[in-house]
Amino acid sequence: MVGCTLLKSLLLVSSLGAVSTPDASNLVVVVNKNNPTAELSRTQLIDLYMGKYVAFPDGRKAQPLDIDNNHKLKEVFYKELVGMPLNRVNAYWSRVKFTGRVRPPVQEQDEQAVLQVVATSNSAIAYIQADNITDDVKVVYRFNE
Amino acid sequence: MNKSGLLVRLAVVIGFASIAIGLLSTQLFYRLTVNKEIGFAHQSIDSLYKTVEATAATAAYLAEKDLAQEVIDGLITNDIVLNASMSFEETVVRTHEQPLNNPIAFPIKSLFEPNKTIGQLLIEPNVEFIELRASQLATENSNAMVLQALVVTIVSIFVAFFLITRPIIAIAKALHHTRPGEGKRLMVPEFHDGSELGLLVRDVNELLDKTESQFNQERKLREEIEALEKRFRMLFENSLSPIILMEPGGNILLFNSAFEKVLNKLDLQLRKSFGPLLKDLFDDPDSLSRVVEVAFANEEIATGEFKLKTEDGNQHFWVQVVVTAIISEDMREYYQVTLHDISKRKRELDDLAYQADFDKLTKMLNRQGLEKQLTTLMTTQSRFMLVLLDLNWFKQVNDIYGHKAGDEILIFVADRIKKTLRPEDFGGRWGGDEFVLLLSQADQSETREIVTRLVNRISKPFYLRNFEQNVTIGASVGAASYPDDSLDLQTLLHLADKAMYQSKKLKETQPEHFLHFSEETQQVQVNHV
Repeated sequence: MVGCTLLKSLLLVSSLGAVSTPDASNLVVVVNKNNPTAELSRTQLIDLYMGKYVAFPDGRKAQPLDIDNNHKLKEVFYKELVGMPLNRVNAYWSRVKFTGRVRPPVQEQDEQAVLQVVATSNSAIAYIQADNITDDVKVVYRFNE
Repeated sequence: MNKSGLLVRLAVVIGFASIAIGLLSTQLFYRLTVNKEIGFAHQSIDSLYKTVEATAATAAYLAEKDLAQEVIDGLITNDIVLNASMSFEETVVRTHEQPLNNPIAFPIKSLFEPNKTIGQLLIEPNVEFIELRASQLATENSNAMVLQALVVTIVSIFVAFFLITRPIIAIAKALHHTRPGEGKRLMVPEFHDGSELGLLVRDVNELLDKTESQFNQERKLREEIEALEKRFRMLFENSLSPIILMEPGGNILLFNSAFEKVLNKLDLQLRKSFGPLLKDLFDDPDSLSRVVEVAFANEEIATGEFKLKTEDGNQHFWVQVVVTAIISEDMREYYQVTLHDISKRKRELDDLAYQADFDKLTKMLNRQGLEKQLTTLMTTQSRFMLVLLDLNWFKQVNDIYGHKAGDEILIFVADRIKKTLRPEDFGGRWGGDEFVLLLSQADQSETREIVTRLVNRISKPFYLRNFEQNVTIGASVGAASYPDDSLDLQTLLHLADKAMYQSKKLKETQPEHFLHFSEETQQVQVNHV
């Protein structure tokens, strides 16, 4: 019975998550709660995600994460951040990849995977829906501001 | 070819115009082309920038020198780019060390934040190349244009020649050789039926028609006038009488051939004037001018018979002169003088008068002629001796040998008389066998001398050829003196007759007294009384 309820709630959550349309207002960028970075500017965020810099402003290594299976979320994020559709973002990466110095963000399965990585790594940085914020992460950038 | 001919002028004008327009438009076109090419070059550079913009922006954003270098190198391979450089974040990427001259600057925008400039791309256009290309293009265009102008010129000359000039020249030539009245008309040039040239030709032909009809009318009129004039001339020229039109002063304006003939007869050269009323031609011009003066004063035509002045003076040339005064339309006075030759009539009249006064047989004055002479002598009151001579034994000769023999005797006597008389004397046959002598200024002794010589001659035997016979006749003579014996002709004749009878009585008995004077007769009568 408990299992049945859990399943139900899981179904409910997953269905909720699937149904809820990602938009800029509930999109946030998060890092490990132990990361000393308190807040990032928009430019700093762009520079991290577009490969210009691979470190947080205080000099510690940074590893941006992408959500691979939820294209919608990824699409909204890049649209909000650099004003580009995904194909252009991909084109950018394919152009700059050959330099060897610059690398694109690491691809993760979904928000859960992303949250897990962030929870465990101080250098990780990722975008999630505000609804899915956990205690292990802290928000460094909000798009709705 | 005519230097001011249409074709030459047309060719020159079109040629010059096309050269001028060609030069002008070539210049203009050249400039336009260069400017346009430079504009194109700038646009091309813009386009170039557009193609490398994303890469350049990426290079600038990531501060990737290699990528920037590649962009710059790529740009420079282009002909229209002379030099290029890119600068971002205190980095400058360039190919040549030379500084850029008048480069075009393109700001490099951030790829992700469009309002943020993150660098600059400088491109120096290859002005030399652009201008060279532009000028090449312009030259090509100019050449094409010159060629086009040439073609247009040739075409327009040809078109103008075939469509306008040639037909016009043909019309002009045809018109030049067209004389109104010959019936020739101009041809409408081919393909010009509906054009202005066709209209021109038709109008010209119409004009020719009108001119020709006017011409013909005029010619007809002229022919009529000529015919009339010919007749007048014929009348004038063929007139037997000289006709002269002259001014009152004597200048001859018009004359016919008959007048020339008259001048020929008078041995005169044709002159402009022979004086007023041709006075030089006349024997007595004053009488002519008097006649004319009187006639004109009475507003009549002057006529009269006058003798012309001939070279030898003896030849008689008489004309009837008719002078008419003519006032012309412009109020000028002319004299028309007509001369009718009346010499022949005059001569005939003279001949008639001669015949009346002469004896046909003896060719001596007859009684009428003698009487006229006597009257003349008496009116001039000149002294003369009237001698009456009667032949003796003439009647017998006449009876025996016939009239022919008698006539021979009479001619013989007349001949003797003519030979005996002095030049100033007259002799004639009074009638039958009676003769009269008028001895001018002769006294009795002179008379006796002449008469004696005559009678002696008459009394010589006369040989009658037909009869081979000698006959002898004699003469009894009586004489009366004017004005001593009488002043009256009849009385004088009577006295001479009486004196002659005195002699006649003595012809047998005292033949030596063959002459008696009237004075003696009177004395005898006185003696008888």
